[in-house]
Amino acid sequence: MASNQGEGDHTGLPNNQLMATNFFDQEGAAYFGELEEALMHGVAGITSDQDKTSFCTSRPPTLDIFPSWPIRFQQVSKTEGSTDSGSVQNTISQMDSEESPGSRKASSELFGKQKEEMASDSPQTNQKLKTQEKRRLVGSTSDKDGKAVDPKTLKRLAQNREAAKKSRLRKKAYIQQLESSRIKLTQLEQDLQRARAQGMFLGGCGTDGNVSSVFDMEYSRWLDEGCKNTMELRQGLEVHLPDADLRAIVDKCLTHYDQLFQLKATAAKLDVFHIITGMWATPAERCFLWMGGFKPSELLRVIMPQLDPLTEGQLVGLYNLQQSSQQAEEALFQGLEQFQHSLANTVAGDSLIESANVGTYTGHMAVAVGKFANLEGFVRQADNLRQQSLHQMHRILTIRQAARCFLAIGEYHSRLRALSSLWASRPRENLMNESALPVTTELQIVQQPVDGHFSGF
Amino acid sequence: MQYQAAVAAEAWGYMAAAMEGLNRVERLASESAVVVFSVSTCCMCHAVKRLFCGMGVSPAVVELDHEPHGDDMARALARLLGCHGPSAVVPVVFIGGKLVGAMDRVMAAHINGSLVPLLKQAGALWL
Repeated sequence: MASNQGEGDHTGLPNNQLMATNFFDQEGAAYFGELEEALMHGVAGITSDQDKTSFCTSRPPTLDIFPSWPIRFQQVSKTEGSTDSGSVQNTISQMDSEESPGSRKASSELFGKQKEEMASDSPQTNQKLKTQEKRRLVGSTSDKDGKAVDPKTLKRLAQNREAAKKSRLRKKAYIQQLESSRIKLTQLEQDLQRARAQGMFLGGCGTDGNVSSVFDMEYSRWLDEGCKNTMELRQGLEVHLPDADLRAIVDKCLTHYDQLFQLKATAAKLDVFHIITGMWATPAERCFLWMGGFKPSELLRVIMPQLDPLTEGQLVGLYNLQQSSQQAEEALFQGLEQFQHSLANTVAGDSLIESANVGTYTGHMAVAVGKFANLEGFVRQADNLRQQSLHQMHRILTIRQAARCFLAIGEYHSRLRALSSLWASRPRENLMNESALPVTTELQIVQQPVDGHFSGF
Repeated sequence: MQYQAAVAAEAWGYMAAAMEGLNRVERLASESAVVVFSVSTCCMCHAVKRLFCGMGVSPAVVELDHEPHGDDMARALARLLGCHGPSAVVPVVFIGGKLVGAMDRVMAAHINGSLVPLLKQAGALWL
């Protein structure tokens, strides 16, 4: 016993020598299989100091970790005395190198684990357990060696080994898949960051996220240009530029708006919801959102008083423009309402209460999705209305008046944007009591005025 | 030989249908001051109908999905408008027998003030 204790952590080591000789045995395979099974079922049981009997009884009789070990161990300990740990170590490394080239690499990993666990055991406990095992084994088989030669047992063990092997391979494959996905993901994230930073994000991928970010970037560029135009208009009016020069600036402004509607049309084709919900605009602008943009008649109502002095003809023209705008807006709005009704009916289907069968459900949903294509048409017509209104203003007014008109429109929208910033940075003390985040309150603001328009979106 | 005859017959059949469609369109368009070619389920068609009603005009509506040779007429209208895409052809508006166009043209005409005179000229509006 003393000699065994002297081996300390390496209680399993002498057996490795034996395993080396056994490896190519018939039984070598069986040996490792049982090893693996045992490890899979939790070799932790070995570390328990106390209940040896419970350890033995809790495990099914077929799973003997070291059927031959106890015998051999005892023999070795008796015959060889204290084994040279160095030679034993060599044996181990030899073992590992023998295993790794083969398909038994996994088993060597498990064996390695088992080594660690063995190392943490108290040698004495191991001793006792092995003795117990040996006794049990001897009892169950007729073989003097204590090897399990029961054919049924062998068959079960083989099956278990197969199952274990399969699950190991599956696990390996899955882990490999996860790893490669992880690498791909980090690469994609890097690419995304790089592309965003460079601003060269071509929206060719077609996913909604890409389209909206492309549009948002282009829109912010458009805004910058708009600010420049507004400044030019203001300066031009202040210095009383000759009409020819002012006309050039005004035409530039008009073209600038045409560009916006072109941008929005392209974006709406790919992601209509981003446009129609005004996610590209600031919260204050979204208060006034009408079909994905400003409401022409409303803008005209705000701007007109500031365009004085106007001639009679101009007043009539602008009044007619406001009228026809309102009629067109009303017509579009009613068309959109009908779209809503139709969509709602499709989504509701035949039975909301009774669970619909999969066929009708998918059918209804497919039709509903198809109907969404109509939304793009409405946004396009609304933008068309906006564009036509601006052009008509340009036609009715003189150059100087048109310059003031576009300046007013630009200034009005930039004040709305400033309003959004002010709102976002307002002092929050009196809001401390409310649990609401600023976002929620913004939403509330948006909810009220937009109600009665198209609050569904 | 038989094949060639069949192809020719098919081509003639196609042309005949196209002629039929165009003829019907032209005939219907000239029957009323304001004619709207529509599809009963189309929301944009509903919008254009509301626009005219809001102005006090009662247009003659041709629902292509309820008409015989509706498909032929739709194809004829598409050719008239010069649109080849999968998007819907309707609504298409004729005033005084002359083609005004699809929704965007009608809207533009209304905004730039040319729609009302056109309607008055066709006798659809009195004021």
